Amino acid sequence: MGIPVSPTSFLRLQEALSKGLINSVDDFYISARSILVKSERYFDLFDQVFAHYFKGIELSDPSGVDLAEAARALLDSWLRDPQAIADALGIDEESLSKMSPEELINYFLERLKEQTEAHHGGSKWIGTGGTSPVGHSGYHPGGMRVGGRSRNKSAVKVAMDRRYRDYSQQILLTRHHMGEALKRLRNMVPSGPKDRVNIDESIYRTMRNGGEIEIIFDRSLRDRLKIILAIDNGGWSMDPYIDVIQSLFDYARSQFKDLKIFFFHNTIYDYLWADPQRRSKPHSVDEFIKIDPETRFIIVGDASMAPYEIMATDGSIHIEERSGRPSIERLQLLSRTFRHSAWLNPKPSDEWPYTRTVNVIRQIFPMFEITLDGLEKMVAHLMSKN
Amino acid sequence: MNVEEDRRAFSGASQYVLDNELAKIVNISMSLEMPLLLKGEPGTGKTMLAYAIAETLTMPLIVLNVKSSMKLIDTLYHYDTLTRLNDSRFGDSKRDVRNIENYIKMGKIGQSFVAKERTILLIDEIDKADTDFQDDMLDVLDQMEFDILEIDKTIKAKDRPVIIITSNAKKDLSDPFLGRCNFHHIAFPEPDMMREIVQVHFPNISQDLLEASVNTFYRLRGFNEVEKKPATRELINWVRALRADPDFKVKNLIKGDIPYLGILFKKSPDYAVAQKHASRFRL
Repeated sequence: MGIPVSPTSFLRLQEALSKGLINSVDDFYISARSILVKSERYFDLFDQVFAHYFKGIELSDPSGVDLAEAARALLDSWLRDPQAIADALGIDEESLSKMSPEELINYFLERLKEQTEAHHGGSKWIGTGGTSPVGHSGYHPGGMRVGGRSRNKSAVKVAMDRRYRDYSQQILLTRHHMGEALKRLRNMVPSGPKDRVNIDESIYRTMRNGGEIEIIFDRSLRDRLKIILAIDNGGWSMDPYIDVIQSLFDYARSQFKDLKIFFFHNTIYDYLWADPQRRSKPHSVDEFIKIDPETRFIIVGDASMAPYEIMATDGSIHIEERSGRPSIERLQLLSRTFRHSAWLNPKPSDEWPYTRTVNVIRQIFPMFEITLDGLEKMVAHLMSKN
Repeated sequence: MNVEEDRRAFSGASQYVLDNELAKIVNISMSLEMPLLLKGEPGTGKTMLAYAIAETLTMPLIVLNVKSSMKLIDTLYHYDTLTRLNDSRFGDSKRDVRNIENYIKMGKIGQSFVAKERTILLIDEIDKADTDFQDDMLDVLDQMEFDILEIDKTIKAKDRPVIIITSNAKKDLSDPFLGRCNFHHIAFPEPDMMREIVQVHFPNISQDLLEASVNTFYRLRGFNEVEKKPATRELINWVRALRADPDFKVKNLIKGDIPYLGILFKKSPDYAVAQKHASRFRL
């Protein structure tokens, strides 16, 4: 992980230096940050590196869990569930409620020092591989902030404060963000009666007529985009992503007029189901070739399964799907039928190479992450002309 | 952003420029002749900052409020064909109809180029426009000139305006855009600062209410599940509501009984989360 800095920015910093604009470490801290660092997400990293270089402050291990971070998580869960935390710390709820947040954190940190053995995996609150819902990630930027407002401090001190820690985490994908990313997934075509005045055209024609007024009417633009959304809703492997897919689903339902939603389990065999239980409304994949090929076909799934499920002729775990065609052929059929198709994967893209089936599917469908960037790239891909 | 404007009226621009860090960033951007991009949550005073800078440097300020439907040409100039048509038909103005230049009106960016003295150009909420607009606009600002096609004339900036751009967006702007700007992120005000802001709006607010309301506000902002966190604007309205309610007692707020959550949380899932947690409060 590093801070992306373009050569131009670096040269610009040199320019600032050579112009004599930077006369102290403080100046350097501020100018270097504003010239080189283009997103608040990297401010924290910049602070750490700065403090490290100028003061020899140790860089924190990016994979480890920040202690203060863990303490904040603790405080947070305390607000949510005082009983559980009282149990975890071994004090009763009564005395816990009398402690101020600072006291609580200090108490907690002291307990942590006493603890000798490593505390990973099954623990309730901290440790790196735990299952606690209040883990390291998932913080909103601008959450509860530790550290105060800094004025008249030296740059190194300011950098050591790490004021921007809260901004360094990945942005959560909210409905609003999703809407923003998918906004351009539209295909406006004129339809209906000619009932809109085209002002620009009217003026142009009028002037061409030497002032004889001519009013031009147009049809209004309607969204004619057809979308099919196929969602993998089976199996525990998709469970962690239910939230994000739910908001995608909600957004799609409210936004797109011509939307069909289907469900499948792990991968697509002979049928897609229109009901989430995948029981009563099967639609044969063979029938899909009758659908308008301009339809945008979006598949949502983690694409992670045993290789035979996708390769073998009897890969499906459902007994009625025994046409003898492996899933890979079905996917290829769909990808040939719909030239605008995409696979959305809720798994982060750096995990993709480790799963064999993800690689297989990526060769059939262009795959995108469910992140702001990923969604935007998908939209660009789906709306491209060829 | 009314909140910030009010504040300016009360306490003057000096409040903002006190921030040493920001002053340096503005200076660096001016000497390098680079646009300064300001980001931050709504309610952190991004827009206000441009006003403050303009006031301190005593330069005229030109504000371009970006709208989603905006085209680049709208910001540069506008050829007023309708007036020309009217003049040509009815001939009741003193303008020379044959000279098209009489009907060219400058847009905001155009104005900042032809102004007699160096100006500050505030481009507000750039994230509303699409990426093409953003990139094209920076091209113009880079070269400091544009052509008026109708009269085949090139407008060149006499003095390079000081350009300040604000953005609310959580996501980053495009790389080429960022490459041409200096960047600063304004953090959400700290509680101390917030107390000051509240005090400016309610000069006769009691100390108890001020403490309790600001503390509660920051506690409420701390919920991670909340999608739209309340900003300065919401706090001000909330305090206004608290003060208007004759039955409201500061004691209750300290006890964790928080009325009018709907003013702070405007999305129903957020409201539900806040309500669930609020009952656990002890300040």
